[in-house]
Amino acid sequence: MSVRITGIGIVSAIGLSVEENLAALMEGRSGIGPVRILDEAKDLLVGEVKLSNETLIEQLGLTVKNVSRTSLLGLKAAKEAWGKSLHTPELRTGIISATSVGGMDRSEIFYKDYLSENNPDFELLKTHDSGSTTERIAAELGISGYINTLSTACSSGANAIMLGARLLLQGKLDRVLVGGSDALTRFTINGFRSLMIYDDAWCRPFDESRNGLNLGEGAAFLLLENEKSTQISGNETICYVNGWANAADAYHQTASSPEGTGATLAIRHAIEKSGISISDISYINAHGTGTKNNDLSESVALNNVFGEHIPPFSSTKSFTGHTLAAAGAIEAVFSILAIRHNLAYPNLNYKTEIAETGLVPVTSLQKELQINAVLSNSFGFGGNNSSLVFSAIH
Amino acid sequence: MDTLKEDLKKQIIEQLNLEDITPSDIQDDSALFDDAGLGLDSIDALELIVLLEKYHGIQVTNPDEGKEAFKSVQTMADYIRKRKGDL
Amino acid sequence: MAYISAASTISHQPTFRNAGFSNVIQPLQQGSVLISPDYKSFIEAGLLRRMSKILRMSVACSKDCIAQAGIDQPDAIIVGTGLGCLLDTEKFLNNSMTIEGLLPPTSFIQSTHNTMAGQISLSIGNHGYNMTHTQNTLSFEHAVQDGMLLLNEGEEHILVGAADEHIEILDEISEKLKINFETGLTSAASFFILSNAKSEATLAKIRDVRTIGLVTDVSAQIKAFLAENKIGPDGLDLVLFSGKPQDSAEISYSENKNSPIDFTGFSGVYPTSSAFALHFAIDKMGNNKTLKHILICNALNKSNLGLTLIESVEA
Repeated sequence: MSVRITGIGIVSAIGLSVEENLAALMEGRSGIGPVRILDEAKDLLVGEVKLSNETLIEQLGLTVKNVSRTSLLGLKAAKEAWGKSLHTPELRTGIISATSVGGMDRSEIFYKDYLSENNPDFELLKTHDSGSTTERIAAELGISGYINTLSTACSSGANAIMLGARLLLQGKLDRVLVGGSDALTRFTINGFRSLMIYDDAWCRPFDESRNGLNLGEGAAFLLLENEKSTQISGNETICYVNGWANAADAYHQTASSPEGTGATLAIRHAIEKSGISISDISYINAHGTGTKNNDLSESVALNNVFGEHIPPFSSTKSFTGHTLAAAGAIEAVFSILAIRHNLAYPNLNYKTEIAETGLVPVTSLQKELQINAVLSNSFGFGGNNSSLVFSAIH
Repeated sequence: MDTLKEDLKKQIIEQLNLEDITPSDIQDDSALFDDAGLGLDSIDALELIVLLEKYHGIQVTNPDEGKEAFKSVQTMADYIRKRKGDL
Repeated sequence: MAYISAASTISHQPTFRNAGFSNVIQPLQQGSVLISPDYKSFIEAGLLRRMSKILRMSVACSKDCIAQAGIDQPDAIIVGTGLGCLLDTEKFLNNSMTIEGLLPPTSFIQSTHNTMAGQISLSIGNHGYNMTHTQNTLSFEHAVQDGMLLLNEGEEHILVGAADEHIEILDEISEKLKINFETGLTSAASFFILSNAKSEATLAKIRDVRTIGLVTDVSAQIKAFLAENKIGPDGLDLVLFSGKPQDSAEISYSENKNSPIDFTGFSGVYPTSSAFALHFAIDKMGNNKTLKHILICNALNKSNLGLTLIESVEA
């Protein structure tokens, strides 16, 4: 299997473009810090995109003002991935975005005023539903027709990429923008706190002392095109998405199974589908949220699939924070950059291996490796596990 | 009658929305997290931490600390008394 | 092409385990309520105690479908939902703004859109593909499309469904935003098994399904869809519609056929009500052998168009 990736775009806590994100990854510079834009307790550690909504609206040149931050971030990344592509009636173009909470950032403002009977603005709710966040992005890019949104918690972004690849392979579309976007909200921050897995210190993926995640926000999109489309667009192929799989853990509402059942299935099936041999996977961008449960379960799954020969792996969540539905798409961009520039990123804040599994992630930037194929994992609530394989191989 | 334990049983039923269960169905020492007992899970454990704060003013910051305390209604009552005595 | 091997709906109508319902149901009156089965016979008590309306409906319909189709496990579970788990979402939002201190986590966990698909997988121990589409009024059509892609990729049986739940605040919101519907807002879930081959269980076939977001030319889109499926002007025996697509010549076809039906009169209004329409269409085909082709034209939201072409088993 192989589907062409011809454009990438990203906005995250470590940068507002592909170039800025790459620079931060290479410098080992985390974007997680005390909250500045969101109205929250000042010492809360988050991976914020350092742009206010007003600046985003201005930069994006929007005339419509009733737009959720999720759409704004998504639009910024989607525009970068779309690049100079042109619309033509010859090509069927679609968009699939992923979000976990859609326009919740604005619904919160409404609901606070609603509860205190302080003249709530019902118009704010027009951006609540997740589908509307994608419609806004589509409208600004002039895309109509196939417009879809997936919402499977933290694996959503990876699932959007998978669905786009399948639609192209089955000839339903000629090109499709696929990705995900999530803004930081008090809803999700409070939610992960209520689960007691929000770390007040910096998140430490795959470290024995890990104690939870730091949330982040951001968006990323890939442009996938078939051969007909690249012939018309003239876009160069950057990389390929070769394998994908989604599997249900069916273990628990939030926790991953100790055997890593769903994760193991997703990784195995994605690699099988790619046609790339297990030993040719050169780097793994892990889900690695920094919670006790995920990192242990994911380590077990890596052991299940790769045995003694686990490729260099790391989690980049200590750079960006956990960006929920955007994570799969953001990490897809990181995986593509790893292949393009032969990089394996450091797993920041790691010190000691997890006692049960003893896996050691990449701890400093690796530039000497030949990175041909990358596995990217995204695992979510409800036992929703997805894996993608990217490579330079057609 | 130990009113703390009776109160706890009512609070557990309410907090965890245990339909069809009455306080008299819960023995003081029956295992809360065992399938032979109430068969609670890790989400319930978090709800019990909320219960301790809401009704008893006790804060549990480390979920692991709850594990020992939440074995049964008896151990929960002991834990509450110990924490309150400590203060 | 997908063969429908099972269909199950819980709604404000007596639809659940009631084949032939389309003959007897009447248009909904204001103030209608959800008709719930005894969930205890479908869902373990331990799981049931936490479940909101949308979760109960979804899991019960799913289990009913699997039993009807006579399969052990579907190869995948795909759910469409327009607004997701509203009850738990509002509950957590409310708690987080009114409670000082620790918040109960259950409503947060169950607020995510994929809770239905996740709970179904958990309830039946399914490790297959598990997906949730949320594209407001087109969420169900997108789920069906995904299911049909999987059948083309070689899977055999896919559980596909849709669910949305009504909460009180929705009435106030729709009034303030001047989105008014005659029949009122309702809750419902409909689930189906889509199979890759005809069997004794086959109820009807889905020939094609299409979604057009930010649509501007409804009439042309309907025409193109029918043309691609080689359905002539008289080829449709019935049209079920929502919203106002009637300007289209393809909807107001010749007089000797059955009049188009606004299905929201029966289902009430919720984002995935076209799933109710699918079950309604299948059930009508079961009752009336002259219905060979039915088009569901979902224009509930005027900027979104969903088209589903259903064919009877005999056609």
